[in-house]
This record gives sequence, structure tokens and C-alpha cells, in this order.
Amino acid sequence: MSTLAEAEAPPPLAPAPAVPTAKPPRKRGRWTPYLLLAPGLVWLLVFFAMPMVYQASTSVQTGSLEDGYRVTWHFATYWDALSEYYPQFLRSVLYAGSATVLCLLLGYPLAYLIAFRAGRWRNLILILVIAPFFTSFLIRTLAWKTILSDGGPVVGALDSLHVLDVTSWLGLTAGDRVLATPLAVVCGLTYNFLPFMILPLYTSLERIDGRLHEAAGDLYAKPFTTFRKVTFPLSMPGVVSGTLLTFIPASGDYVNAELLGSTNTAMIGNVIQSQFLRILDYPTAAALSFILMAAILVMVTVYIRKSGTEDLV
Amino acid sequence: MALVNWFKRRLVVISGLLTLGYLLLPNVVVTVFSFNQPKGRFNYEWQEFSTAAWTDPCGVADLCGSLSLSLQLAASATLGATVLGTMIAFALVRYRFRARGAVNSLIFLPMAMPEVVMAASLLTLFLNLGAQLGFWTILIAHIMFCLSFVVVAVKARVMSMDPRLEEAARDLYAGPVQTFVRVTLPIAAPGIAAGALLAFALSFDDFIITNFNAGSAVTFPMFVWGSAQRGTPVQINVIGTAMFLVAVLFVVAGMVVTNRRKKQKA
Amino acid sequence: MTSKKSTENGSGDVRLSGIGKTYGSFTAVHPLDLTVPEGSFFALLGASGCGKTTTLRMIAGLEEPSCGTVSLGDQDVTNLPPYKRPVNTVFQSYALFPHLDIFENVAFGLRRRGIKGVKKQVEEMLELVQLGEQARKKPHQLSGGQQQRVAVARALINHPKVLLLDEPLGALDLKLRRQMQLELKRIQTEVGITFIHVTHDQEEAMTMADTVAVMNAGRVEQLGSPADLYENPHTTFVANFLGTSNLIEAEVDSVSGEEIVLKAGDVKLVLPEARCGAPTRTGGKILVGVRPEKITLTHADDAGEIPAGRNRITGTVAATSFIGVSTQYVIDSSVCPEFEVYVQNIDRDTRLVPGAEVVLHWNPAHTFGLDAAQSLLAGTAGSAGVEEEAAV
Repeated sequence: MSTLAEAEAPPPLAPAPAVPTAKPPRKRGRWTPYLLLAPGLVWLLVFFAMPMVYQASTSVQTGSLEDGYRVTWHFATYWDALSEYYPQFLRSVLYAGSATVLCLLLGYPLAYLIAFRAGRWRNLILILVIAPFFTSFLIRTLAWKTILSDGGPVVGALDSLHVLDVTSWLGLTAGDRVLATPLAVVCGLTYNFLPFMILPLYTSLERIDGRLHEAAGDLYAKPFTTFRKVTFPLSMPGVVSGTLLTFIPASGDYVNAELLGSTNTAMIGNVIQSQFLRILDYPTAAALSFILMAAILVMVTVYIRKSGTEDLV
Repeated sequence: MALVNWFKRRLVVISGLLTLGYLLLPNVVVTVFSFNQPKGRFNYEWQEFSTAAWTDPCGVADLCGSLSLSLQLAASATLGATVLGTMIAFALVRYRFRARGAVNSLIFLPMAMPEVVMAASLLTLFLNLGAQLGFWTILIAHIMFCLSFVVVAVKARVMSMDPRLEEAARDLYAGPVQTFVRVTLPIAAPGIAAGALLAFALSFDDFIITNFNAGSAVTFPMFVWGSAQRGTPVQINVIGTAMFLVAVLFVVAGMVVTNRRKKQKA
Repeated sequence: MTSKKSTENGSGDVRLSGIGKTYGSFTAVHPLDLTVPEGSFFALLGASGCGKTTTLRMIAGLEEPSCGTVSLGDQDVTNLPPYKRPVNTVFQSYALFPHLDIFENVAFGLRRRGIKGVKKQVEEMLELVQLGEQARKKPHQLSGGQQQRVAVARALINHPKVLLLDEPLGALDLKLRRQMQLELKRIQTEVGITFIHVTHDQEEAMTMADTVAVMNAGRVEQLGSPADLYENPHTTFVANFLGTSNLIEAEVDSVSGEEIVLKAGDVKLVLPEARCGAPTRTGGKILVGVRPEKITLTHADDAGEIPAGRNRITGTVAATSFIGVSTQYVIDSSVCPEFEVYVQNIDRDTRLVPGAEVVLHWNPAHTFGLDAAQSLLAGTAGSAGVEEEAAV
């Protein structure tokens, strides 16, 4: 090494520029964070936050398309919208809620399977969960029209097992039809948002140290007790974010209700969509949308507080 | 009794696989029906086998035009959202600044908002500003709702990055630009790629927000929506199946490559 | 700027003048002056949080000093960013670039300075650290010791004026650490570059460094050669942090010529004036210290055989532990409740079991005196600011 050090003179390092010693120490990168944040935040402020303000203002305007709208602080729009469309609001909460519960019940075993039981099949199953995303969700939702078609094998089987009699009695289906009933809409919602439940569940289950199961078993917990006392509590962050990621988009969805349902299954999204794009009653549409947003925010806040996972985001 | 025990032990596996079946059933139907030759305008009932649609995927008016519009939009939205989102993610992880809480909620809120609300309010803005609805309004909307997802994906990666690596680069004569290009970017790359992929998928598949803000432009999901009313051409199923296969192939190829590399190293 | 020129006196020294660092109201490093002579192996020793790493990072340019200047030779580098300083660092966690292979990691600095044809240099450097075979592997495929050598190679290949080592051996197991200590010392002797080494491990600092600066709470407590620090600690912190010291509080009885006679209870002790770092006046307090291995232990029955002129204390054995080369005794005595004594296992006296009456005695020349106005326990493993004694 001594030869190395001496034979090859050290390559000239950048000779120090004559730095005046009186210069105060530079504050490096004081403005950098703001420069990094600015473009994206401006984008969100202009195209996410500002529209909310515009919408709030629109919701208290009166007028007509021809004469234009003016802010008249006409809060009655909210009351009228609520009293006219509360069934759709209730339906949205009910359908989205049922779909969320179903997603949790269906998704948990699969997430558990991928996390703990799949072994070398783990990646393959994960791919199979994600890959359907790449077939447009509208095409896949239309496929349910085929699957649930009148007189098709699925409906036939349900009919011969007398399941349809029960669901008809409950008001979930109508006669020997499944399409155009609440059952079809909930089934579609569940299907569409199931991956949004499975992935967060899997992520939080996968983080659980397998030795915890052994430790619980060692401490006299039966398998189901282990699940109830150890696995499930530890997967709570996944349960919370999974239910949010399912419930929020499902409550505002109008695609499933439109494609698989009927006018009797219309959700609030359908109303907002038609008020905005067909009837062009902007104040009512804005008021409905505002109510939906407020309701979601309140529910989400309460839910996050209750489940004690505030550091989720 | 033995049967009941067998069933009990495999309860998780069986119910998990049933869910998987539920998830994949529509894709099977989509694929099978891409070989159908329907009698009427709608492709909901099986008639007879045909490869006609596969040999002529663009045979329906406007279908491939809408597909190419969607691909263009997705590519542009991915680029925009990835650049802006990555910048925000770096700022959030690496720097201290004022109003951090407000910034975090501004990024979280778009993810916690039903699409229809964002769609309607954005349309209100565009109507008030008198903006011409079309490609650019869709692009603006897509960048807006993809941004937060990119931030989350990149943030996770940058947070797990050792800040000493950048210090080491600076110590080894790399200036700020070189440090970023040679060290920071390559190490953050998987997170950025994940964010970009997510943005592409979200943008390509978006219907609700696009439907509100598209004006007369027709993206692929809007084409499918319209065809649900007018009549569903088999070509829709062809494109859906092809996208599914391409995605699976990409992922499997990626896994094979990483596996090989791992084996070579070992 | 060539290696020849820098051998002239002082032109390659690292000089810190009044350098300090504060974070808000917390002072990490109090303004300190320090000169590290060119070509020396210098260690900054202290517990975690004492400011040693901050000092190192200020030399590297990774931390901006709140006050003071850093000079390399006659060049003031205080305002130079790290990538313009002829200084390289071996990081604590090595900070090897995970996306580059070993060769590219080592070549990184050369390439950034636009040097062409780095192959030969890199290969020679990898040979020096015995990693020629591993050039195309990625860092995570190497063991901890190998990664450590890559980190050293990556820094050394740039022929820095100063090599900074931030706890470079902290992640290695004991045996490997011993080996790497000798290895680093060998490399330093060969290349003749100034090494500044930060560590919390006092044995490591003493084994490797020519000069050790002991830091505590953002200040340099004492600076000197390892032997000097060990034999003549100036503060209780140094006395306790480097090895073990028995400290006894005593009162000055009389000062006669070169000797101070002290009184602790009914025991009289003699301390050479030259080895007392505290002001002495009759009746004043002083802390008397003696290292455990300087003491001879004699059973009370043989007390008559002890030569005259030695400092003596009587006590009873409270505990013993056999550790191979020596036996460690804890003695209960009237002047000091837990007196430690290390006895080489040459002829073991089987009578020295717990409860036995003993006499401790040592040559007065081995006694040192400290200012009594400081805590007896500063720098011991249990006191605040000192972490666990690093698995040694």
C-alpha cells in the first residue's frame, strides 16, 4: 500500500476556492421543502380544495340555467334535497355497509391464507388478486349481468335450493330474478371493492411474527382463541384501512346500481350524477354531494377515533 | 366425523379459495365471452364459438380510438402525478417545515372522498371558470386523484432509506445533483415505480371522475359504459382479456427475472 | 498539495478552533479547540451523546458548526460542502450503496472526480483489503467484516488528507473486532494518513490510537496518549471511564516537600505532589485514586511481611470472581465500601475467600489525586450518559 500511496500522487482534489472566512455559514436548503411541495400542493389546492368551495357556494345559489345562478344563501336546498332523496341516502349507507361487512368476511380468510398458509403459492395468489384490476372494472361488472342472468345456472341453483324464496321474503330479490335487485347491487359492490379489503388486510397480517402464534399456543391458547386474542387484534390497522377503502368508494358509487340494479335500487351517486349531468339542477346536485361528503367525513372521523388507530394516516 | 375434522382443519384454505374464485369468476366469463358470437346487440348470453372479435379487435367504431385516448391520458397522468407526488414525498420525509399537519390532510383527503363528490365539485369549478371540457380537464382530474397515491407509495420507500447513504455520496465527492441522480433516485426507484404503476392503473380504469369532466371526449371506460346502454360488442371482452393477460405476463416475467438473479447470486 | 509537501511541519494538521454545535437550546458540542497532528491515529472517546460523532461530522462537513472554524493544514474548510473536502468517512453502518456492486462502491469517489481508468486502482485497493474475489457482489451478499473493509477501501482509495471513522467496528462481534482493530492500525501505518476515530469503547481507543481525547457532555475532558490518560487521569470521569478506579475521599493532613500526606478516617495515605491535579491546602478535601491492578492483597495473618512505606488499608473480602488471567476481589473497608482489586493468578492464596480479613497495600507512587468537587461516580457504567460497556 505504501507504494500505492506514494507512487501515484493523490489525484488533485478540487482546490479550495478562496472562501472568505467572514461569510456567515450558509443555511443549506432552507427553501427546498417549500419548492418541492409547491407544485403538487398548488395542484391539490386548485383542483381539489377550491372545487369544494365552489361547490359549497353553488349549493346555496338560486336561479336557472337560462338566467344564471346567484348566491342567495338559500339553505332550503339542503332541506329539500334531503327530504326528497333520503331513501337514496339510506340505501347508499345500507348497501355500502353490507358490502363492507361482506368484503371483510370474504376477504379475511383469503388474506390470512396468503399471509400464513400459501407458502410458495403466495405470490401467484397475490397476482391473481391484483390482476383483474387490469381488465376494466366496467367490463367485469358487466360480466355479472351474465353470471346472474335470469334462468342462468347461478339463479337456477339458488332457486332450486329455495334460497331465492328466503331472499325474496327479505326483500333482497324479486321473484325468480336476481338482476335488478338489491342483492345484485350488493354483490357487485362487494366484488368490486374486495381487493381494497384484501390488500391492506394482507399487509398487516404479513407483518405479524409467526412466532406469536407459537407463543400463544405455548401459553395454552386454542387455535381459535389465538386468532381472537392475538391475530385479529394485531391486524386491526388492516381491518380499519380495509373497511375505509371499501366503504368510502362504495357509498359514492353509482356504476353497480346502474348496471346491476333498477330504479328501485338507486343510490345517492345515481342521483348526484343525474342531477349534474342530465337534469342540470346544479344547486341540488351540489347540496347532495356536500351532504355526502360531510356524512363520510363525520363517519370516518368517528370510526378512526373509536378504533383507536389515529396514527393510521 | 373424520370428514368434519378434515373440513375444520382446512376451513381457512377452503374459504380463502372460494373468495379467490369469486374474484376471478368475472374474468373467466369475460374471457369465455370474448369467443362468443351473440345474436343481438348484447353479449350477455352464450350462442356459439367464434374468433371473429379476436381477429378484428378494432372492428367497432370508436373503440380503439377510446382505448388510445385512455392510454395517452394514463401515460400523461402517470408522468405528472409521479413527478409531483415524488417531490412531495421527499419533502415530507426529508425536511422540516411549517404546517405539516395541514399538508398531510390535504394529501389524505382526496383518498377519503367518494369519487362522485370530487367529480361533481371539479365540474362545478370548470363550469364556473368556463373551461372547455375535454382531454385537458380529464388530465387535470386524473393527476389530482392519482397524486396522493403516489405520495403514499414513494413516502414508504424513502422513509426506509438510510440518510447516511446520501451523506456517504456527498462525502465521496458527489455534488447535490450527482448525489440525487447516482444514489437517491436509484434507491428510491422501486417506490417510485410502484407509485407510477398505481397511478397508471387508477387513471386507465377511472370512470366516475372522467365521466363528469370529459365533455365530448370518450375514454375506454366511457366507451364501455355507453355500450352497456347501446349494445356490448365482443371486442370489449377481447380487450379486457388481453389487458389481463398482458398484466399477468408482465408480473410473471418480472418474478422470473428476480428469481434468476437471486439464484445467480446465491 | 502533494504528499511530499504535506510532511512539512503542521501543514497537514486538522485544526478545530472554537468549534461548537447547538441545536436550539441543546448544546451538543461546547466550543472546543483541538489539533490533530498529521499522520496520527487520533481517537475521540466518549459515551453516546457526548458530542464525539457531531464533532466528527463537522470535520467531514456533514454538520454545520454553530461557531468556530475547521482547518486542514493552512486551508479553512469550514464553509466547504463535504464533496469539496479532502476528507473521507467510514460510516457507522458502513452506508454502502445497495444498488452498486463492491467494485462500483469503491470506484464511486474516483468516478465523481472524473478520474478515468479506475480499474487498476480499485483492484489494488480491493486486494489491500483482501476482497479481490468479491468485486462483483452486492453489499448485502457480504458478511459484516467484509462490508466494513469495503467501507474502508471506498474511503481510502481517494487518498484523503484525513480519514474519519465513526464507530467503524461497532457492528462486529468481539473476535472480528479485535482482528479489525489490528488491521486498521496496520493500514494506517502503511498509508500514513491521519485517522480520526470515534468510539465509545475505551479498550478500542487505547489499542489503536496514538492520542485519545476523552469527551463528556460536549466537552473534551482530557487529551493525551493512552498510557498517560490511564495513569494520570485528571478528572473522575476519565478515571472511571478508562478502566476502573478506586476513589477515596480524604483530607490533607500535611504537605512535606514532594509528598502529600492524607487522612481518610484513621488511615494515612501518601500521594506524590506531582500526581495531584487538585489544589492542596491543609484540611482541604482530595479524592485519592488507585487502579485495582496496582494493589497487592495480603491476608491479615501475614500483615507483618508487608514492607514499610506502602499505603495500607484493612478490610474484609466481600466477593471474588475468577476470570482466568486474574481474580477480581471486592473488599469492604472502612474508607471505601467497594474496593476493587485485581490479582494475577500466579500463586493463588486459598485463604482469600469472602469474609477473610485482608490488608490492601500499594506503592504510594501509584496513587493519584483528584479535585474532590466532582462526583465520585462520573463515568462509571451506572451513571447517566454512559451506555453499557459495549460488550467488552
